[in-house]
Amino acid sequence: MARYLLKRLLSAVVTIWVTTIAVVLLIHLVPGDPVKIMFAQSQSTTPEQLETVRHNLGLDRPIYEQYAIYMSRVLHGDFGHTIRGDQPILPLLLGRLPYTLALALSSLLVATVIGLGLGFLAAYKRGTALDSLCMVLAIGGVSVPVFWLGQILILVFAVRLSWFQVAGSDWRSLILPALTLGVTNAAVVARLTRSTMIDIFNQDYIRTAWAKGLPARTVLSRHALRAGLVPIVTILGLQFTYTMGGAVIVENVFSWNGIGRLAVQAIFQRDYPLIQGFILTFACLVALVSLAMDVLYAVLDPRIVHV
Amino acid sequence: MAQVVRTSKSSRTGRIAALVLGVLAGAAVPLAALGARAADGTLVWARDGDSDSLDPQRTTTTLSWEVFAQIYDSLLAFDESGKIGPHLAKSWVVSPDGKEVSLTLNGDITCHDGAPFTAEDVKYTIDRALDAKNPSITKASWGPITSVDVVNPETVSVKFSSPFGAFLSFMTDPMASMLCRGDAKLGDKFGVSAAIGTGPFKLVSWTKGDQIVLERNTAYKNFGLPAQNKSAPHIAKLVVKNITEAQSRLAGLKTGELQVAEPPLAEVTTIKDDKTLTLVTAKNTGQDNFFEFAVHRPPFNDARARKAIAYALDIDGALDIVYGGLVDRERCPVAHPVMGSEQDFCKSVGYDYDPEKAKALLAELGYGPDKPLDVVMLSWTGGDRDKLVQVFQNQLQQVGIHAKIEMMDIGTLNARVTQENEKTTGPGTFDLMGWAWFDPDILYALWHSPGAYKGYSTPELDALLEKSRTSADPTSRLGLVHDIEKILLQEAVMIPVYTPGWNWIYAVRAEVKGFKVGPFKRPMFNDVTF
Repeated sequence: MARYLLKRLLSAVVTIWVTTIAVVLLIHLVPGDPVKIMFAQSQSTTPEQLETVRHNLGLDRPIYEQYAIYMSRVLHGDFGHTIRGDQPILPLLLGRLPYTLALALSSLLVATVIGLGLGFLAAYKRGTALDSLCMVLAIGGVSVPVFWLGQILILVFAVRLSWFQVAGSDWRSLILPALTLGVTNAAVVARLTRSTMIDIFNQDYIRTAWAKGLPARTVLSRHALRAGLVPIVTILGLQFTYTMGGAVIVENVFSWNGIGRLAVQAIFQRDYPLIQGFILTFACLVALVSLAMDVLYAVLDPRIVHV
Repeated sequence: MAQVVRTSKSSRTGRIAALVLGVLAGAAVPLAALGARAADGTLVWARDGDSDSLDPQRTTTTLSWEVFAQIYDSLLAFDESGKIGPHLAKSWVVSPDGKEVSLTLNGDITCHDGAPFTAEDVKYTIDRALDAKNPSITKASWGPITSVDVVNPETVSVKFSSPFGAFLSFMTDPMASMLCRGDAKLGDKFGVSAAIGTGPFKLVSWTKGDQIVLERNTAYKNFGLPAQNKSAPHIAKLVVKNITEAQSRLAGLKTGELQVAEPPLAEVTTIKDDKTLTLVTAKNTGQDNFFEFAVHRPPFNDARARKAIAYALDIDGALDIVYGGLVDRERCPVAHPVMGSEQDFCKSVGYDYDPEKAKALLAELGYGPDKPLDVVMLSWTGGDRDKLVQVFQNQLQQVGIHAKIEMMDIGTLNARVTQENEKTTGPGTFDLMGWAWFDPDILYALWHSPGAYKGYSTPELDALLEKSRTSADPTSRLGLVHDIEKILLQEAVMIPVYTPGWNWIYAVRAEVKGFKVGPFKRPMFNDVTF
């Protein structure tokens, strides 16, 4: 088990490192000089001043030097300052990260509850109208654009019914964005749950459990669902990554103050240090979650450790 | 025998009832909160972005200086018509040679930390802006200052190496906001989580990316802002919220969660019919939207091609179609109320819609019905500019100019325009750009070589721009500005189109009274009651 975890941890570290290199290279290919953009509407800046700012930010150095300096600072916990506004980046990201995590986790919960429920029901009532209905609902959820669904939920529940605020940062304001993101992710979970459970329902040990006269609840939850959790947990780990990406759009629709919104702003402003900090944070988070999923996977199915 | 556990119907019903009650209770709380907010005098103003910094010397974005204008004061202020008048400084004297400006402060000005605001604070502010190691990013706007001397607690003398005509107008700008010496003691917190000024509101907190909370400065005195209220604001708190999506802002206005916000342009007609909301349109913004050209290659290296574009555009018609009265035609290189923005003068030296003249010029250049001129028209997204350039595209088509449209964000546009000016091959490009400033010194930044985008420049234009910058006498300066405008317009270096052009329309809850937008687009809350 320890060896398995060590391998997974090393894999995570390499993934993050490669990501940082790719980010530095890609950002410099995007058109637009961040210093010029920073001063875009400031008519009084001289070319000398632009060069001074560029030098202070290290933007006049070769890319590999910029990268080396950046990584050495990061390893000391210094993510630098934003180009716009000269704000320290790490506290900025750490301050916003809990909001994105809350959104991602709560929407994952929504996706899991809806997806597991629909998928399980569809598998249990396979071949019936209920099966078709569940799948149509699930597919409908994934087909609906996140942006559109968010606006509709705001219109109905915030404007018409006044049940929620349009924008806020407390737990009540989390409900609509979590629902938006969760509904659109539920289809993947539902389909996988359905196909996994159908497979499991056809297993001999399930037939034996039915034959023994065990209550339906016991057969379905203790025997069937438990076995089906392994692939479902795997997909949930992947869904978390997808959810984090979707959070960027949802955060903007609902003005939810997570790092996704910060990232969009940074990209438009060509705020290189902030973009790098965001990508690095995002990569670490995804790697950590993948690692956690690997551990959970190993707990659920000890055979994995020995593969 | 297997035991089957059944849930009684009554306990299941109880759980469902509890759930419903819980949801209703949870839903009632936001409603209660909304009511409470309105009652305690807190006004929520939503914008499409957040400030970069609370330090006026570290950023120039509109979103930032809109907040500076609430926390800080400037030495001077524009009146409704855009004329410079007193504010923190009650009077000023410019020496005959233009190299010294003495400003005398009003008495009884207090900083948010309780300390008196004196000439020492003015010196601190200007010295900090000009600091060699870490100057303000608008250092050049302060002019060639050589020293700042405190004559007495209420008088400060600013000396220049040469006259600087734009100094007094810059003293009205939020980017020249006066800091208090207490800001020096805040260290790294200044501009990030703390700020001390003399403005109508004090900073309570800034949750970056979410909201800035300000509270009324009870000791405030309005010496010169164009507001009726000469003392502390009526509202207890001003919350400046960041809501990027325009539809979300509109939804918030409709629910009463927000009291002031910029609505989606497409909804303006609907809002006019909505009795719960009123529209406030900023006037005298100084925002100029204009066409400019990549002049270092054909066809726009030839003034005839630029003039052909000017003749081909029915600007009044296009503005009416797209904006229906929400914007004004702007004929000058600087938009009103900036000095030099005289529409009659600019009309006399510019070009009006005349498609036949456009065709004649194109024919001289070798273009005609069998050989249309292919060009690329660039602009930036937002403000319904995409609709406007489509109308222009159609108009250009009528005279035989095929304009391909490319829209992008303002950052990319700025970079692209410079790129196009550096290229020597490729189709001709021209762009619909936007700039806002409160002084004709903007023309120096845009057109003095090498130019903001490395575009058009000539020694003659450079000389005029330098003379205008160093002229302290308003009358002779205006004459120089006219000469500059004549070149820009007659050579069709730029084609002014309209004003304002971005973030100029506000939707306000009907119960909110007194909200106004001061000259150069400065939202003012001094008179607000609700």
